[in-house]
Amino acid sequence: MFSRLMPVLTQERRAATLAVIILFQALCALFFIGDVIVDLQGGDGLVELHLAIEACVALGLVAGVVFLMVELRILIQRVASMETGLRAARGEMAQLVDHFFDQWGLTPSERDVALMILKGIENDAIAEMRGTAPGTVRAQCAKIYAKAQVDGRSQLLSVFLEELFAQGMEQFEKAAA
Amino acid sequence: MTSLDTQTSGRHPGARPETGAPETGGPEPARTVPVWDPLVRLIHWSLALSILINSAFTDEESRLHEWVGYVALGLVAVRLLWGLIGTKPARFTAFPPSPARALHHVFAMLKGDRSVHLSHNPLGALMVYNIWATVAALGATGYMMTTVTFFGMEWVEELHEAAFGWLMFSVALHVAGVFFDTWRSGVPLVRAMIDGRKRVPEGRPVE
Repeated sequence: MFSRLMPVLTQERRAATLAVIILFQALCALFFIGDVIVDLQGGDGLVELHLAIEACVALGLVAGVVFLMVELRILIQRVASMETGLRAARGEMAQLVDHFFDQWGLTPSERDVALMILKGIENDAIAEMRGTAPGTVRAQCAKIYAKAQVDGRSQLLSVFLEELFAQGMEQFEKAAA
Repeated sequence: MTSLDTQTSGRHPGARPETGAPETGGPEPARTVPVWDPLVRLIHWSLALSILINSAFTDEESRLHEWVGYVALGLVAVRLLWGLIGTKPARFTAFPPSPARALHHVFAMLKGDRSVHLSHNPLGALMVYNIWATVAALGATGYMMTTVTFFGMEWVEELHEAAFGWLMFSVALHVAGVFFDTWRSGVPLVRAMIDGRKRVPEGRPVE
């Protein structure tokens, strides 16, 4: 789930690169169009072939610009829908965490500490953030692990991971059925 | 992990998320919405830069002044094309040039309306079209001055000067409008034009 953040970033970089190329190519196209128009006003028989080629170049560039613009729009739409998916996953995760904390009957301060543990914050940092003694945090951790019936940090995390995979499998099976 | 962090940091961590919010996907605290795509931003700042260069730094008679002007004209042309086939907030349909809507918006603001517009607000939309048209007029009159037919004609030059004055006035009004609407709607608009995202404060109605 978190690794899905990476594609969003790289996709955004791709979109930005595409935008730069589109703008540059569009300005090139306009340069050629302007050149063709100026040349047409000159009206010299000898340069007709040259003019035709220039017109073709301009046409090709314009076609490229329009095509790339459509591509860019599709890319941006895809990034947006990916972000929506991420947000949904995030929302579900928050619900899931809440659900388990309720089930375990954690006190409000234990909930705070448990969430920080899930976020990977060290005990000392938790104590500092909450303005309590490290010993207090350790005691709270022990209570949380006991209520959740796990051995420690990594097992507490795996409770949620397991749920995430299980839900994924359920959806997969539902789709297959 | 960053995704979880951004949602809860700044509030007391571990506090129960506001009930209702996650299920409905409704108003979240300070949502960020991707609005301006990279092409819109690139064109906006390039146009701003070319206006700055030509108004302050280039010699009016120089070839450089001419070419910067043509680039500005090209930027507007590309933006117009993007307004037809671009992303949703960039399209003309997202911000139609409507004085009636602008007037309605003014009265709504006077009554204390603080709603957020994801594209341009109706007043901002008018300013956008105004600036594009003015740049186009500047480019056209600027080009005319280089042609044999119109060379040395006073009215063309006067028109170019007048358009320039109007552009400077418009830019000043545009910047003032941006700061005013940042204050009114609570959305940092300059930042939105830099990273493309509008940060909509909690509980603001969005149009």
